[in-house]
Amino acid sequence: MAKNGKKTTDMQFAICGSAGDGTIAAGDIMKRAMAKAGYKVIAFDVYPPEIRGFGKCISRIRITSDQVFSLKPLSDVLLSLDDSHAIPHVGEVKDYGAVVYEDMPVSVMAEGSHISGHLTSTQLPYGVPFRELSERVTSSARSRNIVAVGYLAGLYDMPRQVFYDTISDKFKTKPAALTRINIEAFDAAFDVGRNTFRLDEGSLNPPQKKSSSGDLVMMSGNGAVAKGCIDAGLDTFFGYPITPATTIMERLAIDLPKHGKRMMQTEDEISALSAAIGAGYAGARAATATSGPGFALMSEMMGLGSMAEVPAVIFVSQRGGPSTGMPTKTEQSDLNIAVFGAAGDGQRIVLAPTNVEGCYKCAGKAFEIAERYQTPVVVLLDLYLSNRYEAVEFPTKNPFKANCSKPPGKLKKGQPYHRYEITKDFISPRAIPGDKGYRHAITGLEHGENGRPNDTTHQQMSEKRHEKLNGVLRHPGIAMSKRFGDKGKVDVAIIGWGSTFGEILEAMIVARAEGITCTAMKVVLLSPLPMEPINAIFEDSKEVLVPELNYEGQFANLLMGATGRPVTRLNRVPGTPMHVEDILEEIRRLAGKKKGRGSLAAE
Amino acid sequence: MSNIEKPVYLEEKLEEVQESGRLDYRSKSLPTWCPGCGYFSIVEGMTAALNNLEIDPDETVVVSGIGCASRFPFFVNTYGFHTLHGRALPVATGIKVANDDLTVVVVGGDGDAFAIGGAHIPHAARRNVDMTYILFDNGIYGLTKGQTSPTSVLGFQTSTSPFENHDQPLNPLMMLLSYGASWVGQAYAGNPHHMADMIEQALAHKGFSYLHVLSPCVTFDKTTMTYKNLDMIVHPLPEDHDTSDVMAAMAIAQKTEAPALGCYFNEPRQTLNDGLDDIANRAQGKNEKPKKASQRQAAE
Repeated sequence: MAKNGKKTTDMQFAICGSAGDGTIAAGDIMKRAMAKAGYKVIAFDVYPPEIRGFGKCISRIRITSDQVFSLKPLSDVLLSLDDSHAIPHVGEVKDYGAVVYEDMPVSVMAEGSHISGHLTSTQLPYGVPFRELSERVTSSARSRNIVAVGYLAGLYDMPRQVFYDTISDKFKTKPAALTRINIEAFDAAFDVGRNTFRLDEGSLNPPQKKSSSGDLVMMSGNGAVAKGCIDAGLDTFFGYPITPATTIMERLAIDLPKHGKRMMQTEDEISALSAAIGAGYAGARAATATSGPGFALMSEMMGLGSMAEVPAVIFVSQRGGPSTGMPTKTEQSDLNIAVFGAAGDGQRIVLAPTNVEGCYKCAGKAFEIAERYQTPVVVLLDLYLSNRYEAVEFPTKNPFKANCSKPPGKLKKGQPYHRYEITKDFISPRAIPGDKGYRHAITGLEHGENGRPNDTTHQQMSEKRHEKLNGVLRHPGIAMSKRFGDKGKVDVAIIGWGSTFGEILEAMIVARAEGITCTAMKVVLLSPLPMEPINAIFEDSKEVLVPELNYEGQFANLLMGATGRPVTRLNRVPGTPMHVEDILEEIRRLAGKKKGRGSLAAE
Repeated sequence: MSNIEKPVYLEEKLEEVQESGRLDYRSKSLPTWCPGCGYFSIVEGMTAALNNLEIDPDETVVVSGIGCASRFPFFVNTYGFHTLHGRALPVATGIKVANDDLTVVVVGGDGDAFAIGGAHIPHAARRNVDMTYILFDNGIYGLTKGQTSPTSVLGFQTSTSPFENHDQPLNPLMMLLSYGASWVGQAYAGNPHHMADMIEQALAHKGFSYLHVLSPCVTFDKTTMTYKNLDMIVHPLPEDHDTSDVMAAMAIAQKTEAPALGCYFNEPRQTLNDGLDDIANRAQGKNEKPKKASQRQAAE
């Protein structure tokens, strides 16, 4: 593909196998190696909740030279490590794309179980003896996945060194001989792939010139969250294992003690947030991470955090719900509980990053915000964002201002310290245990300025807890909302939050190319809502579309309630990311409606 | 062991109390408990113990859950956190993990601890969080006006057990002894001097110390755990009781019909924060990935 005279790359691989085949590991080597080679990479794995057995694993990797925002609906190559799982995915290979599979004689297979029989006439079959190759080089079939990666790398003549480095990294803790034989297996398969007939469609062109500072690092959303925590100076982390948030805790279990900080696994999610609130009260920067079912248990403590005005950060990686739901499938359905959960009024702050880089930023900023506004901050991720990998360039200078609390000034003699003193910005100076002369007790009961239980102050204190949050809208160093695409009046505006915004952006780019005037806005701060830009985009647009991965349209409801204007919902809950095509279709329909061409649905 | 051996006159005591410095630990807020409540003497015992041990009130945090007992933080002049029903222990754990220098005292009642908060006690005990848990056991829910609690005796008639309580009461001392608490003791609110001494011992212990205080609810329990009834059955632990013998402690704890007062068990061991320091040292010193448990055992 040529763009501005330069040759660009945009290809996508889908690697599909059974749990235990090493499918995810194969995808991992491919994405890390290509990020090392300087390409932009987005990758997302889908796997079953079981560890072993016959569940389906798919790793999808998109490799590009320019920044993109989501996966493509069609892949260039489907690599099958288990035909029974891969057959249903043959349809997601584009025309003149390839299907690479284990070469087996058709005669020994039951009818319909050989993948070659499912290809369309425009898909190219590549039967490769993975098992034989692996056994020949390593005397074992266990390197079959490495062989498959090697073949794919050879097919596109990818640079070998980045793969050697990645494989060495992967087997760093294992005996050196294992690295050597796996590299040999990779090489053998690479040569086979290189010497076979080439694909006409799509080729790998050298990556764009590297930008000046820092390397591109291949990182998952959860990895970026952990890095953001460390850079913001997280002191204590309390957690309880739950998919898909566990990897945050696992990362911090290694990184926090290295910085002399503390990570503790608690007995349940209730105690995880309780302990984080305790640590926050004692002046530490504290956090926990969970998913929907654990978040439900944390509701009461969020209420206490709001009422007693204690900082803490809660990372919530959403999965399919309600209840235990779909532990390994993505969804965006915990918005309601984040904004409204717990007894009483929900006076709290909710942030939702839209990509891996945003995970880093929101994680770090969440600590600043929690400390500044003395309240729990919820950072909403989802499985698609937590587990998806992107090549990210992190700033070389720490972008977070670690300490932004408001300590009390010196007291006059005999002047009592009032923990909940009502000030101009409604933020009270906060003393922490150990500070000399500021002894006080805090409580989840409604209280007066001095912190003593008092239920005549409820109106005034509710106002304080509500109004103090307004400052968040102007918190420095983070955009609480951002508009892309056409400026001024447009036919369609797409407003989104969280991981779905990648697909929204892709859809908007295509729609604009088709001549539809449209704009897309991401909302990062979901509570309190940035009403100024939201009202402005409603003012500018004939139609507003809100695509999200939940059934009820939780964000659409929030927007309609806040603006008092109608929106068009687009809700999907297949457990997988939204399709760009679905959004695009809806944009076309809405744009057509206004031009009087009649809706597509009528055709 | 009667309550008051000889009459005490306010004038002669007042000067003594004022000079002792104990009042520095007393809040200006007056307790909201019913007259005669055993909890008054626990406030007294606590302030006396903090004063005797010269613990800096600025470095002390009293954490509580919900219930009559849990209003405690407002009645002492330290830092305090009145948290949620049943959640005092995990909040206190967070406080201690965040700051080693703080003296953390958790107070709460039997419902707060053993009903809604029951899941947290074994973990605070086994982790040996360096804090003191003072449990005010009155065998009833007082703040909601008299319902059965997990320590209410069989046959107890309350507003939610009008046809008598049929649920076997828990044995808190047995629980704490088997959970691995490193210090377990029992006191009685009707015996304030002994109780003050026990609070002092519990505070001085490094690690998780659990003090069970039998404390009558004078308003809602007129029949079972009254001062009169308890006065007749409480007695000191045998003088030769070995506080390192957990089996002996359990044998005595089984005799609920005659509660013994004193220190049942005392065996210091590594605290939670010591363990976390060890983890940090390993992570920093060797600059390598944390070893798996099996490898670590093999190495030692």
